Amino acid sequence: MLAVRDLSMSFAGLRALSGVSFEVREGEVRAVIGPNGAGKTTLFNLITGALVPQAGELSFAGASLLGRGAPAIARLGLARTFQQAQLYRSLSVIENVLLGCHAAGRSGLVACGLGLGRARAEEHAARLWAQECLARVGYAGREDRIASELPLGEQRYVEIARALATRPRLLLLDEPAAGLNDSETDALADLLLQLRQSGLSLLVIEHHMRFVMRVSDRIVVLNFGEKIADGVPAAIRQDPAVIAAYLGNDDGTART
Amino acid sequence: MCASCSTLCTEPAPMPRRDRNLWFGLCALVLVAPWLLGGGYFINTSNFVAIYALPAIGLCLLVGYCGQLSISHAAFFALGAYASGILSARQGLNPWLALLLAQVLAAVVAVFIGWVVLRLRGHYLAIATLSFTIIIEVLIKELGSLTGGLQGLSGIPRLSLGGWPIASDTALHYLLWTVTLGVLWFALNLAHSRMGRAYRAIKEGDAATALLGVDVSRHKIEVFVLSSLFASLGGSLYAHFVTFVSPAAGSVMFAIDIILVLAFGGFDRLWGAMLGVLALTYLNEYAVTFADYKRVAFGVALVVIMSFFPTGLLAGLVAAGQRLWRKGA
Repeated sequence: MLAVRDLSMSFAGLRALSGVSFEVREGEVRAVIGPNGAGKTTLFNLITGALVPQAGELSFAGASLLGRGAPAIARLGLARTFQQAQLYRSLSVIENVLLGCHAAGRSGLVACGLGLGRARAEEHAARLWAQECLARVGYAGREDRIASELPLGEQRYVEIARALATRPRLLLLDEPAAGLNDSETDALADLLLQLRQSGLSLLVIEHHMRFVMRVSDRIVVLNFGEKIADGVPAAIRQDPAVIAAYLGNDDGTART
Repeated sequence: MCASCSTLCTEPAPMPRRDRNLWFGLCALVLVAPWLLGGGYFINTSNFVAIYALPAIGLCLLVGYCGQLSISHAAFFALGAYASGILSARQGLNPWLALLLAQVLAAVVAVFIGWVVLRLRGHYLAIATLSFTIIIEVLIKELGSLTGGLQGLSGIPRLSLGGWPIASDTALHYLLWTVTLGVLWFALNLAHSRMGRAYRAIKEGDAATALLGVDVSRHKIEVFVLSSLFASLGGSLYAHFVTFVSPAAGSVMFAIDIILVLAFGGFDRLWGAMLGVLALTYLNEYAVTFADYKRVAFGVALVVIMSFFPTGLLAGLVAAGQRLWRKGA
């Protein structure tokens, strides 16, 4: 469903990505791993339209992503979360998630200003959907809490709920397990597997190896902007190039 | 599921009950104001409050909600006033038609200006919109054959209903406040709708908002045009109310006055803007006796407010009061 072909990007002569190709199939969890600076976040920025690639091809569900702005790409059904949750700090939890519903909304400025029935009905439906998205990620707090007051772990779940509210077909998660303890990481893995069960495809950047091995169907390994391996977790675990570049120690955690 | 939104499920209204009650309260006040204020001076000043509230409400949506600082509202006020005045006084059009055409003209100009300047952010946007105000001010002064130049444009006909010009203070009171209440109602609805939410999101960060599929530049242009239209509507009503317009209506000083209104009431508070207009308009009346120092006093006030209460004086005081209250309790 997502195809990345010969993608290259450099910043001021520094090659962040060179000739990377891989694809994400419908309904799979695809992980991207690699040491810090391997180009993983650059990859996400290119896919979501925050950056424009210097070379290569990106397509999603048969449509090229090149030359489309970030909003248009998002409306094709791609949603992402960030390494550090980027919620609207002054807005409440439910308002944050409702912003995920915004692009799908039909009622315009005049309908909203006049408070027409259809604008109200749409707002009501959006609110129910936002609550459902919060329920899907298991957010159990008060939905009128201000985002900046939430602990970081909860912010991450709210951000996933906001991404889900856009009704994505592919969800990109940038280090969702960073800073979580073991049981929180397990809970997150359960959530991702549940989302896959519901038909969503996922592309996940992560350092936490036990987590990656558990949730991924297939893994891409990047090192210094190049793809050095691509395959199922069992194969990646034994790939000599990967072990040399990245996995190193055998206790299942990554060197960072 | 609805335990946390019980009001919502029974009543998916865009506006919270508190705002609606305040709005109805204001309506009631407007209804009885002619008896309370007893006509004459006070009611006349209250009519100016209604007029100046329009650009202030517009600017509140644009700056307070969407975070786009614009110093062009005086220019749009003047555009509305002069277009209305020229079309009715010089071209002899029916004042209502002149007023309508003035809004069309202002909308066209706003779409163009918005399209050009809203790519800019922060200080750059402020300077670009300030330049637009200066250009309009100069044009008004230089195009004397059209605008009357420094002498101003006089003899603008009043709006009329069924052949009777709306001329008495009381009649004007009802006309002007009806318009202002309508605009306020619209703005309150908008602020609490999905649009108001998107504006606040854009204020916090437009890149993250774009990633959610929101067409950020379109939203910015829409709110800029709406906000400018409120200002030009205020200008048109001013022209037909005072029957005279001078270049002061489009001056940078007036642009700053509108910002001062928000600095007083709170940038992202529509009710604060209303209180700000009320306070500043009456203050302006009393300041006539020391007109030379008025500018200095207002300038100092703006600097002090922005230093100590960057979200606005009233809003800042309310927040400080709430903190004290919580500490005490």
